[in-house]
Amino acid sequence: MLAYTFKRLLALVPTLLAASVLVFLFVHLIPGDPAAILLGDSATPEDVARLSREMGLDRPIYVQYFIWLGNALQGDFGTSVFFRTPVMEVIAGGAETSILLALLTMVWIILLGIPIGVLSATRHGTWVDQLASGGAMLFASVPTFWLGLYLILIFAVWLGWFPSSGFPSIHDEGGLLNLRYLLLPSMTLAAPNAALIIRLVRASMLDVQREDHVRTARAKGLHPARVAIKHVFRNALISVAAAFGFTFAALISEAVVTETVFSLPGVGRLVVQSILRRDYPVIQGVILVIVCLYMVINLIVDLAYAWLDPRVSLK
Amino acid sequence: MATIGLIWLCLVLFAAVAAPLIVPFDPLDIDPVNRLAEPGWPHLFGTDHYGRDTFSRSLYGARMTMFIGVGSVVFALATGGLIGMLSAYFIRLGNFLMRGIDVLMAFPALLLALVLMTLLERSVTNTIIVIGIVYATTTARILFGMTLKLKREVFIDAAICSGAGHSSILFRHILPNLISPLLVQASFIFAFAQLQAAALDFLGLGLPPEVPSWGNMLSESRIYVTRAPWLLIFPGLLIILSVFSMNMVGDAMRDSMDPRFKDDIAGV
Amino acid sequence: MALLEVKDLAIAVAVGGQLVPVVHGVSFTVEAGKTLGIVGESGCGKSLTSLAIMGLLEGSQVRITSGSILFDGQDMLTLPAERRRAIMGADMAMIFQEPMTSLNPVYRVGEQIAESILQHRKVSKAQARERAIELLRLVRIPDPEGRVDSFPHQLSGGMRQRVMIAMALACDPKLLIADEPTTALDVTVQARILDLLKELQDETGMAIMLISHDLGVIAETCDDVAVMYWGKIIETAPADELFSTMAHPYTRGLMASIPVSDREVERLEAIPSRVPMLGEKLDGCAFHPRCGRARPICSDIDPVAIAVSPSHFARCHFPGEDQA
Repeated sequence: MLAYTFKRLLALVPTLLAASVLVFLFVHLIPGDPAAILLGDSATPEDVARLSREMGLDRPIYVQYFIWLGNALQGDFGTSVFFRTPVMEVIAGGAETSILLALLTMVWIILLGIPIGVLSATRHGTWVDQLASGGAMLFASVPTFWLGLYLILIFAVWLGWFPSSGFPSIHDEGGLLNLRYLLLPSMTLAAPNAALIIRLVRASMLDVQREDHVRTARAKGLHPARVAIKHVFRNALISVAAAFGFTFAALISEAVVTETVFSLPGVGRLVVQSILRRDYPVIQGVILVIVCLYMVINLIVDLAYAWLDPRVSLK
Repeated sequence: MATIGLIWLCLVLFAAVAAPLIVPFDPLDIDPVNRLAEPGWPHLFGTDHYGRDTFSRSLYGARMTMFIGVGSVVFALATGGLIGMLSAYFIRLGNFLMRGIDVLMAFPALLLALVLMTLLERSVTNTIIVIGIVYATTTARILFGMTLKLKREVFIDAAICSGAGHSSILFRHILPNLISPLLVQASFIFAFAQLQAAALDFLGLGLPPEVPSWGNMLSESRIYVTRAPWLLIFPGLLIILSVFSMNMVGDAMRDSMDPRFKDDIAGV
Repeated sequence: MALLEVKDLAIAVAVGGQLVPVVHGVSFTVEAGKTLGIVGESGCGKSLTSLAIMGLLEGSQVRITSGSILFDGQDMLTLPAERRRAIMGADMAMIFQEPMTSLNPVYRVGEQIAESILQHRKVSKAQARERAIELLRLVRIPDPEGRVDSFPHQLSGGMRQRVMIAMALACDPKLLIADEPTTALDVTVQARILDLLKELQDETGMAIMLISHDLGVIAETCDDVAVMYWGKIIETAPADELFSTMAHPYTRGLMASIPVSDREVERLEAIPSRVPMLGEKLDGCAFHPRCGRARPICSDIDPVAIAVSPSHFARCHFPGEDQA
């Protein structure tokens, strides 16, 4: 297991390197002098010239890349043009919000997606199933920001139950109660993804239900609920896990939108704002961090897959 | 359900084609007196903060929906499909090309789109290209897997034995077998592209702001959501209905598809 | 009293809101400790009949439309679901045609056997595991202590069928239903599995209901035989009597289509024409379109079972005629 994990981690290196080349080239693909771009509009020609030298823009581009990569590997993505602080600090500032949002969203997805999916599959063909799978399809078709805006309108503006935007840290006054700021955002983010999980659980359970070994389980005289959970759902989890990487990618994408709608100080909104502010060092840093995270998640998904399915050998 | 979806999509197509002929108002006409008018007569869907007629803008929005949807589907299937098929057929080339696809897929979809949009100007064509690239990656990977499966089948061996050339095998023997999965994939890309385009519009990185698309309409009027909630209802429902319909159609097509490929396509 | 008594069992498949009858009232009995063979071509309804007896048709498109299934004196069809499940896997157990797919790939074989024991017996997990090892030894699996922790994919087809048998025997069933237990296996493995079933029957005294399309398999193992054709039992007899005097032309056709390896055969007989479609309306004897000896009456009147001897019945207007 450990050796396999290590091997898989090694296999990530080439892809990650290629991704880092893309992220590096990104600034160089923008028309204009990278130094001027990095410094923003207010920079004087002297500043630009000085930064050009500092960045070694006069050196061959591959040398520049290795210098940049070397720094990035040490966690140094340069300095934010907008905040004038190290990029890593800027990213770390958004981490708490994004991680808590992701965790809360996961709770919703698991709490809603799995039971409704199981119910839908076990009541296949009944109105319960049609309602659940139709509803899931509907929620998967709703633009995230639209849902967010209406949740704000209904639960924050009209009913006044929840705050409409922002998120003070749980280390600030209010403590864990501040999580209520994340309730509407996490529901917004969970809706389309829970919908995806519902359809996924349902479809894979229906597939497993047709398999011969389920008949064997029933022939043992097991209670139908036990057959559904221990034999059908357990086996369906294999394909659900396989598709989980896909869900996570969707989650990251939609988090960018959700954090923007709810003005949350997270990493997702940082991406959008940095793009609008043309804060390129931050864009590069954030993107690279997210790509790394996404690849690690995919690796974990693969390991979970192998763990769930004994037929997959870890070699 | 799929039939209802198909009917709705036909309506959207009709609106897209006929928009200039059937709109009651010019979608760009500003009318400061009738700002934020409630839905009623003569403004069926009300007016926005410039006093523009929401109904007329919605009809024109159907045009953008079709442009973006069809455009990104064609782009994604043409480039991604070709890359996937060639990669599976010429496996040496494939190992190289598919690694490239892997790298692009290391970026979550919207993030890739955002980064690409940063490099390009906001325009209809660029939005189509960017969304097309994003879904070309998944299409390439799916078609790669399917072509590999087909390559192992006896009828391909038979074609090789009868002396068929590469292009004949690829386009006369392999491609026809991939048409139905491609159609299913197309319907899901169409649906995803709508949501993706709307998200880009909302983030201010999609279509130019003056273009009357459903995404832009939502984006512009979001600050009026408390004063004029209807401004978001209509374009929102239009997007939801269209995406939902396309998903339904895709789902129905996938259910009736060749079981060999059913698991390859991840839709909704 | 017979252990299992099936009376006028009729089964239909729901197709597009309509019930299409596929098993038209079959009756037979299985005596305690004996083996009944049910033989017929694929699609004749023999598998559906066995699934109906086991109670595995629930939730599918198949319905039991009439008849009764008496097991140990209780009507399985009117028994509440919970009491029925107490019998399934305990007093009545079943093994299936596809050993490759009939075991759950994600659990160890020991766990799967133990699951059945834990369901029906008040024992600890450790005891269930001990019993699972004992059962694996019983079905002649080498190194049962090691194999108990194997996953199904680590075993061969024959081994998996042995595991299935061990699982079925977990709670000492009175009746074992074996639906084509050897069809998916290699010929050499087939014989060993059949021998094993025979030996286990001698050891435990259980009754076996063996479903097969292969008269050879039936001949080797059964005390009594019922031949099914198009959802009906067309001939029943003790095995030795059936194989000496076949009364129904279909049974003779089945026999003639078996390749015999130790004798030169000029031409392998095939039964001409095809089996009528499921649910097809057919007047007269269901076999008459394919029967070489059909006469006018055969296409008009469906024959009733005629006694050829006190223990031998055939549904044919002219039983035993033109015997070879």
